[in-house]
Amino acid sequence: MEKQTEKTGRRGVVLVVDDNALNRALLTDILDPDYTVLEAATGREALGILTARWTDISLILLDVIMPEIDGFELLSVMNQRNWLDAVPVIMLSADGSPGYIERAYDLGATDYITRPFDERTVRHRVENTINLYAKQKVMEDMVTEQIMEKERSNFQMVEILSNVVEFRNGESGLHVRHVRAITDVLLHCLRRRCPQYGLTTAKIAVITNASALHDIGKISIDEKILNKPSRLTPEEFEIMKTHTVTGARMLEETPQQDADNDSFLHVAHDICRWHHERYDGRGYPDGLVGEEIPIAAQVVALADVYDALTATRVYKPAYPPDQALQMILNGECGTFNPVLLECLKECAHRLKRELDLNLSSSMSAMEIRRVTSELLSHGELSTAGRTLNLLEQERSKAQFYADTTQDIFFEYDRESHQLTTSAAGERLLGIKPPVTHPDTDPQILALGAGLWDELREQLKEATYLDPDVQAECTLTLSGQPRRCRVDLRALWGGEDLPDYVRVVGKLTLLED
Amino acid sequence: MDLKECYARLEGDYAGVMGRLRQEERVAKFLRLFPQDENFALLTQALEGQDWPLAFRAVHSIKGVALTLGLTRLANSSGQLTEVLRPGAPTQDPWPLYRAIQEDYNKTVAAIGGLDNG
Repeated sequence: MEKQTEKTGRRGVVLVVDDNALNRALLTDILDPDYTVLEAATGREALGILTARWTDISLILLDVIMPEIDGFELLSVMNQRNWLDAVPVIMLSADGSPGYIERAYDLGATDYITRPFDERTVRHRVENTINLYAKQKVMEDMVTEQIMEKERSNFQMVEILSNVVEFRNGESGLHVRHVRAITDVLLHCLRRRCPQYGLTTAKIAVITNASALHDIGKISIDEKILNKPSRLTPEEFEIMKTHTVTGARMLEETPQQDADNDSFLHVAHDICRWHHERYDGRGYPDGLVGEEIPIAAQVVALADVYDALTATRVYKPAYPPDQALQMILNGECGTFNPVLLECLKECAHRLKRELDLNLSSSMSAMEIRRVTSELLSHGELSTAGRTLNLLEQERSKAQFYADTTQDIFFEYDRESHQLTTSAAGERLLGIKPPVTHPDTDPQILALGAGLWDELREQLKEATYLDPDVQAECTLTLSGQPRRCRVDLRALWGGEDLPDYVRVVGKLTLLED
Repeated sequence: MDLKECYARLEGDYAGVMGRLRQEERVAKFLRLFPQDENFALLTQALEGQDWPLAFRAVHSIKGVALTLGLTRLANSSGQLTEVLRPGAPTQDPWPLYRAIQEDYNKTVAAIGGLDNG
């Protein structure tokens, strides 16, 4: 929409809703040179337009008396769907009775103009209202940006901290990420099944983030014990077990600002201390039973076990996901809350996928959810929160296409140097993700030595206004040369920026 | 007949409408559209069929357009029937009020028909 404004010099999009054609035409006539005007003849039609593109609409001029859905009803629907925060409504009516005016304001109208109206009044109120909302939007964006920045660095701090522990542990840092992802999936499943745990989006976000710290107590364990490839002696195991209490104590000693039960430190403490407890009371360090174990710790315990089974460790090979699931269900790794086991069964398929792909993107769906919930916790930022929600929907949609298409699609992010391909692309080209730096990645080099450089050369032709380029090249597939066509589109961060930031492409194998 | 004479003929408020909508061309353009508005026919049908909500919307619409275009006489007569129909069923015999609207409506359409082309 902003692009359109830049190009046409129009100041926004006004939706005129009136069942009388003459009224609509007159308002369009008054506004047309300065605004793009959309017309709807009924409340229902207006609802259709709004549902499809409410984010594009700058303002609505709304008649009151209309058949079927009248102006008040439309206003209530907009109110319910939280559209009024972003789309101001000015009511227009021949009825100036106090009852009508009051009702309109109660339902969230910004302004009320009675007929006959003065042309200048309409123009000025439209312009002022749109400007006011635009300024607010800029402020919201600034605050959103700051919150995102804060969340991002919080997330990174926790990640750095947990990686320190992991590396000492001889692990790659993947375990922490996996536990985080599994915890997130399990909690969302649990929320649907058991409302009594009170798992709000915000609470899930806190637990998920705090889960990364579950093993920080291991920083105090001697490396000889930590990385011992053979079975621990009973004495060594007793020392190993202290990582729960040590981790909890480290967190207890951290000064905290808000001491409520849902605070990050509090949740992280519970997870550290009790993620080795078992539902039947046979865990450690405190032998808690059943619901005595905080739900956050129960979930992380299960996530920890599941990932430990599916990962390679110094003392054991990786079990396939199905076998790991079966081992847990059989009680081979201790007793868990039956509801959680149900969740694990239900999510088994999703977990496999999440663990495969989620970790490669620079900001995962999970992180977006976190930021969204943080934003939503600031009531006044609901518009920005919804924008992020839309963003998440878009990501999810794109992921769906990438998973199900039979075509070879790929995407390259210039900043992170990450190359991702659709599922069909991975299969047909034999690429295993993640691929970073495709110019030096052996998998890509195997397809064709100069391939990536060639595409990059072609991309120099792309411009902001004409971002599409095509190339033909030869790939080596299973040792055989194969001609193919590559369609590329460069994506820009903004019109005034010199270079593209991302490339999406489609690769078509040509018949020989 | 020019626009000002036309407004005198249909007993409208020329000065008022020019003050609000500002351009003579614009006023003339939308005045010429008025006879195409279907709400008068809709009102007639609705009253005959005793469809009161529809009659209310139609007469309310006539009133709105009449106010917008400064058709004072028509705005007054349609405004009266609007109030009679607002409660959902007529509070008094609507037909005398309808005939007053009919008279004003015909006069308005006739006056618009005599407007100079331009």
